Amino acid sequence: MAPRPRYLQWQTVAEYVIVVAIVLESIFFAVYAPQFLSLPNLINIALSIAITGILAVGMTAVILTGGIDLSVGSVAALAGIVAAMVAGSSAPGAVALAALAALGVGLAVGVFNGVMVARFRVPPFVVTLAMLTICRGLAFVVTDGRSISDLPPGFALFGREVFLSVPVPVWLMLLVFAAGWFVLKRMTFGRYVYAVGGNREAAFLAGVNIKGVTLLVYVLNGLLVGLAGLVLASRLGAGVPNAGNQCELDVIAAVVVGGTSLNGGRGSVIATLWGAVFIGVLNNGLNLANVDPYTQRIALGVVILLAVLADQLNKTRGQVIA
Amino acid sequence: MRLNVYALCLALLVGATSVLSGCNKGGGAGGKRIGVTLLTREHVFYKDLEAGLKEAADKAGYQLIVTSGDMDLAKQQSQIDNFIVQKVDAIILCPADSKGIAPAIEKANAANIPVFTADIAAQGGQVVAHVASDNLSGGRLAAEYIAKAIGGQGDVGIIGQQEVQSGLDRETGFKEEMKKYPGIKVAAVLNGGGVRDKALKAAEDMLQGNPNLKGIFGINDDSALGALSAAESGKRNDLVIVGYDAIPEAVKAIQRGSALKADVAQQPRDLGAKTIEAISKHFAGQPVEKSIAVPVKIVDASSLK
Repeated sequence: MAPRPRYLQWQTVAEYVIVVAIVLESIFFAVYAPQFLSLPNLINIALSIAITGILAVGMTAVILTGGIDLSVGSVAALAGIVAAMVAGSSAPGAVALAALAALGVGLAVGVFNGVMVARFRVPPFVVTLAMLTICRGLAFVVTDGRSISDLPPGFALFGREVFLSVPVPVWLMLLVFAAGWFVLKRMTFGRYVYAVGGNREAAFLAGVNIKGVTLLVYVLNGLLVGLAGLVLASRLGAGVPNAGNQCELDVIAAVVVGGTSLNGGRGSVIATLWGAVFIGVLNNGLNLANVDPYTQRIALGVVILLAVLADQLNKTRGQVIA
Repeated sequence: MRLNVYALCLALLVGATSVLSGCNKGGGAGGKRIGVTLLTREHVFYKDLEAGLKEAADKAGYQLIVTSGDMDLAKQQSQIDNFIVQKVDAIILCPADSKGIAPAIEKANAANIPVFTADIAAQGGQVVAHVASDNLSGGRLAAEYIAKAIGGQGDVGIIGQQEVQSGLDRETGFKEEMKKYPGIKVAAVLNGGGVRDKALKAAEDMLQGNPNLKGIFGINDDSALGALSAAESGKRNDLVIVGYDAIPEAVKAIQRGSALKADVAQQPRDLGAKTIEAISKHFAGQPVEKSIAVPVKIVDASSLK
């Protein structure tokens, strides 16, 4: 029984279910909210999932190794703040330096998380939970709880500019998804990521450098968190200490709704894209249909549950046949 | 090697703990002690409220034990339990959940510790006095400002935070006042969670869903600044946005002529001072008003000059 074809079969089914779910919810909202299918609104939906999407690519890789990263929201906020501080200084090339600074913050936290998980084998849940509170705390300490605003106009590039009618964050998200797909599906390193999460012992016996692969996954994820923080600060026009609070839940939801297994080893970046689109369409549609905020929460939970249930039923059926 | 790592971790832990416990010392030993549990320390408003409390308490010679509930009811309940064990002389509370906090207040009542609420009211238990901004009239002021600025015609929206009573009151005041203007429709009410990134998304959806939208009321400044980000990236500088709290960043945005035109200004420092004043009265055995409203006002570019 070769594992690879069965896995591919499962994945195809999972993606099929979520795409059907997206089509169904879109038809529903198109009926209830006349503006839903307009081109500006579709771009608006893409923009609304851009930051979650960028984070979800890194999260997919982390979850594929059997890990989790709860710190993404806090680290993105911290990266955005540092970027805003650098951009706000009158140094030459401040905007470019700000971008590097945001990536640097993400990278540093990624290296730390990766070393703790890969080298010291601290459970990822614990390491990143600690980083969640440390970085959120740091974000408030360095700003004294107040936002960093008054940024140069050039800083709007990453979040507010539009290129070929499509906002820059959406381009960045698509680039990140393309890169994520290529790395995980076409590069040896990517196959190792699946192997580490799928069957650690087998991967070890096959000579995969488990520590190295795990570390690199957290480092790359950190870079993406830095990028997301940069886009977030640019979108808000400020480094905001409480930005991105609890956004790790949205990101994990996108990954899981897409069909990636929280146990590691199974899933894909493309499935995550569909997961993010599904949740983005749902949030947007409920807002456009003017569903009251209390009911929105219930609807969100129920629909996510249904999507994952449908996915699970399909998956187990596939396994019985196999 | 392994031993060294453990030793290092232990040393760091011991060091960190002693630094943290060092922070808790200090303060007068003889004066009355007041336990404070704020809703959060992550909003400028609560920082200013804390500063107002501290300033007034220092003057009166009280020792404040300030904690933050971090918007978490369970955390706040255990903080109140701690205050009861510490036998503080009074408790100041900004409830994370107006109804859910009632059992904790009843516990304090049973221990004969007077409870005061600031900013957010509690429903249930015995509270000596509730000190808060007049949120209904704040919402009304915002509505009146937007109605005049858009000439009494068009759709308006609210970026709210329906989990919190003060947010709901502002929303209610706004909706009530808008009923006086037959040409204006409150077309959308969305939840921005009181934070900027969520408010930004909500405002973007609101703008897409309501092409005739002329004005947005943000029930706090993070909501309004989120809406401003949406207006700016959507090139909608014609919008009239009104915020609430007048934090420095909002004031700057108003002054530079952005779509954020005005703000309802609370006086968080006054709120802190009035709360301590009420406690002093209570300690002195004088009667205290059940509900103390701290006035709000609306500020715009002309009044901020």
